[in-house]
Amino acid sequence: MRDRLSAVAAWGAAGMVLAAFAWLIGDVLWRGLPGLSWQFLVSAPADAGRAGGIASILLATVWILAIAIGTALPLGLATAVWLAEFGHRQPRLQGHVNHALDVLAGVPSIVFGLFGNAFFAVTLGLGFSILSGGLTLACMALPILVRVTGAGLQAVPAELRQGAAACGLTQWTTLSRLLLPAALPALLAGTLLGIGRALAETAALIFTSGYVDRYPGSVFDSARALSVHIYDLAMNVPGGERNGYASALVLVALILCINLATHALARGWQRSMS
Amino acid sequence: MGSDAVSGGRRARPVIAMLLPLLLAGCGDGGKAATGKLMLTGSSTVAPLALEIAKRYEADHPGVRIDVQTGGSSRGITDARSGVADIGMVSRALKPDESDLVAHAIAHDGIAIIVHASNPVTELSADQIRAIYRGQIATWQAVGGPKRPITVVNKAEGRSTLELFLQHFGLANTQIHASVVIGDNEQGIKTVAGNPGAIGYVSVGAAEYAATHEVAIRLLPLDGIPASTVTVKDGRFPLSRPLNLVTRGQPQGLAGDFIAYARSAAVHDRVRSLYFVPLD
Repeated sequence: MRDRLSAVAAWGAAGMVLAAFAWLIGDVLWRGLPGLSWQFLVSAPADAGRAGGIASILLATVWILAIAIGTALPLGLATAVWLAEFGHRQPRLQGHVNHALDVLAGVPSIVFGLFGNAFFAVTLGLGFSILSGGLTLACMALPILVRVTGAGLQAVPAELRQGAAACGLTQWTTLSRLLLPAALPALLAGTLLGIGRALAETAALIFTSGYVDRYPGSVFDSARALSVHIYDLAMNVPGGERNGYASALVLVALILCINLATHALARGWQRSMS
Repeated sequence: MGSDAVSGGRRARPVIAMLLPLLLAGCGDGGKAATGKLMLTGSSTVAPLALEIAKRYEADHPGVRIDVQTGGSSRGITDARSGVADIGMVSRALKPDESDLVAHAIAHDGIAIIVHASNPVTELSADQIRAIYRGQIATWQAVGGPKRPITVVNKAEGRSTLELFLQHFGLANTQIHASVVIGDNEQGIKTVAGNPGAIGYVSVGAAEYAATHEVAIRLLPLDGIPASTVTVKDGRFPLSRPLNLVTRGQPQGLAGDFIAYARSAAVHDRVRSLYFVPLD
C-alpha cells in the first residue's frame, strides 16, 4: 500500500513538472506567435517597443553575450585547471577559491547589477555600455563555468594521469594533450549553461548595459538586452503585451536551442568516453 | 608563425592608410554639425516617453545622441544632482529639500484606485481607503461589498506612485498592511485583475487603457470625481502628478533645447500614445 502511494506521488510530481513546462511553453506560444514574424526579427523597435521589432535588441544581446563568454571562458578554464590540477599544492588558497566560487554562485543577480554599475560603469568609467553589461554577466557565469569544467577535468581517469607521469610527460603536455581534450565537452557544456543563465538575466543588465534601444555602434554604447526589453514591455509600457510575448517567445526558443545543444554535446561526450 | 604575423602587418598597412582620411573627414564633419550627447536617468514611468521623445529629437538633429536609462525617480534626483545624468526623470513634483533642482513638466499622470471588475463596490471615501490600507477594514462587506477578504496591493519602496499615494492620503508606509507589494503599473493591473478581492492603485492612463481593453479591473472615483485622463487634464482629479525632467540649475544648450522640445506640442501624440496627459 505504502509502495503504491509513493509510486503515485512520484508519478504525480513528475507529471506536474511536465505539465508546468507544457503550460509555460504553450502560454508563450499562444500569446507570442501572433506578434512574431520575419519582419519582427529584422526591424528596430518603434513606439516604445509596441511597434517594429527587436533587431537592435537581438544584436545588442549577441554582443553582450560575446563579451561575457569571451571574458568568462579563458578565466573560467584557467581557474578550473588550476583547481583540478595545481590547487592541491596550495590547499588553503584552493579552499578560498572554492569558497569564493560558491558565494558568487549564490549572489542574487540584482547584486551583480549594482556591483557592475558601481565597478564597471562608474569606477572603471565604462558607463552604461555593452562592455559593462558583458563583464557583469561574465562575473555571473564564471562559477557555473568553473564548476562544470572542473567536473569534466576530475572525470578524467586517474590512470591516464599516472600513465602520462610514467611516460615522463611534462605537466604542460599532459594538460594540453590529454586532460583538456578530455574535458573539452564539459567546457562547452559549461559555456552553454553560462550563456543560458546570461540570456535570461534582467536585473544585472538594466543598470549596466542599460535601456537604450538603438543599434549599438560599438561596445562602449549602451544597448538593451532581450530580457530587459521584455521586462519593459511587460511592466512599463501599456499595450506592450503583444510584442512582449513575441520577444519572450524568441528568448524561450533561443534558450531551448541552447539546452538541446548542451544535451547533444553531453551525449556525444559520454559516447566518446566509453 | 613569426613571418605570418609580419606579412599580416604589411597587408594591414594599406588598409589603415585608406581608412585614415575617412576617419579624419569624419572628425571634420562632426565639428560643423550640431552635435552632442545627453544622458537621462530616472523614473521607469517616464523612461518610455522620454525615449520616444529622444528618438524623434535625434531624427531631427542627426548629430545628437540621447541615452535614456531607468532606475526610478530617486535615481533621477541623485544622478541629476551628481551630474552623472544631464537630465533626471522624476514622476512626481519636487520636494522642498530638492529645491536645488529645476523641474520641467512634460506631461501629467493621475493615480487611480482600482478594484476587480466583478467587485460591486462603486465608491470608497478617502477615510475608507485609509482604513483599508491600514488594515482596519479587512473585508469588502464592511464597505458595502460581498463577504470577501480585501487583498491590499501596495507599491514597492522608492516608487513615486507610492510616495504620491501616501502623501495624498496622509499615510506612512509603515502603517500599511499590504498583502502584495508590486513594482510597476502593469504588474499592479495584472495583480488586481487576477484577484476578485484586490484593491490597488496605478497610473490613470495605464488603468484606463487596461479597463477599456477587456482587462478585469474598474477605476474608482475619488472625492466624487471619476478617474480618467480627462479629469486629470482639466485639473479636477485630486490624485495626479506631473512627469518631470529635472536639471541642476537652468538647462543650457542642448539640454535646454531638448527640454523645450519635450514640452512642445510636437510630442503630444507621443504623450497620448503612452496614456499620459499632455501639458495643455
